[in-house]
Amino acid sequence: MFLARIDGTVTSTVKHPTLAGLRLLIGQRLEADGSPSGDPLVLVDTFGARLGATVMVTTDNEPLRNKVGNTTPARMLVAGIVDQVYQEAGR
Amino acid sequence: MRLGVIRGSVVLSLAVPELQGIRLAIVEPITPERLAQWGGPPGLPSSSLGGGKPIVAADQLGSGQGQVVGFVEGRTAASPFWPGKVPVDAYCALIADGIDYRPPGKITSRKAGS
Repeated sequence: MFLARIDGTVTSTVKHPTLAGLRLLIGQRLEADGSPSGDPLVLVDTFGARLGATVMVTTDNEPLRNKVGNTTPARMLVAGIVDQVYQEAGR
Repeated sequence: MRLGVIRGSVVLSLAVPELQGIRLAIVEPITPERLAQWGGPPGLPSSSLGGGKPIVAADQLGSGQGQVVGFVEGRTAASPFWPGKVPVDAYCALIADGIDYRPPGKITSRKAGS
């Protein structure tokens, strides 16, 4: 699991049938110091995460398989919306 | 799932039986820098997108050259073929119509593929 910042949304008509009706967001993975890392990611969201929000992403496909079926290719799901992060001062 | 641009396709003359009949697309992953720039001048084509190392991905959506797709990587890329066991580790899961990308300090919203 990792933290990500919501940077946008994606709309799509032609997609894998298991993705129909799911809210798709663009997330940016964050490092421990809050800096962005890696390429923009398409996330499935069921919480209604807002633009700029920090969320926790799981890459386990189990929850999505349960939700939309075993054939879904998607696995990055917004597992929660981050309220606060407590972290010891960096070394 | 990452975002990418369709740059071509691959045809195999000889393939493991599980892969036969599966279309293979060349996908160039989109970096945050290129995606942020893309929202700049209107009418900028998807040729300016991308920026990552191209990969080969299975495609069952009929994606066309220059289209922006979402592609998954890893074991779940083979899930659409379940319960079959197919040696696929990248799969085009969606074709993007529109992308609204607003990282901090940028305001961009435009149609994909135009």
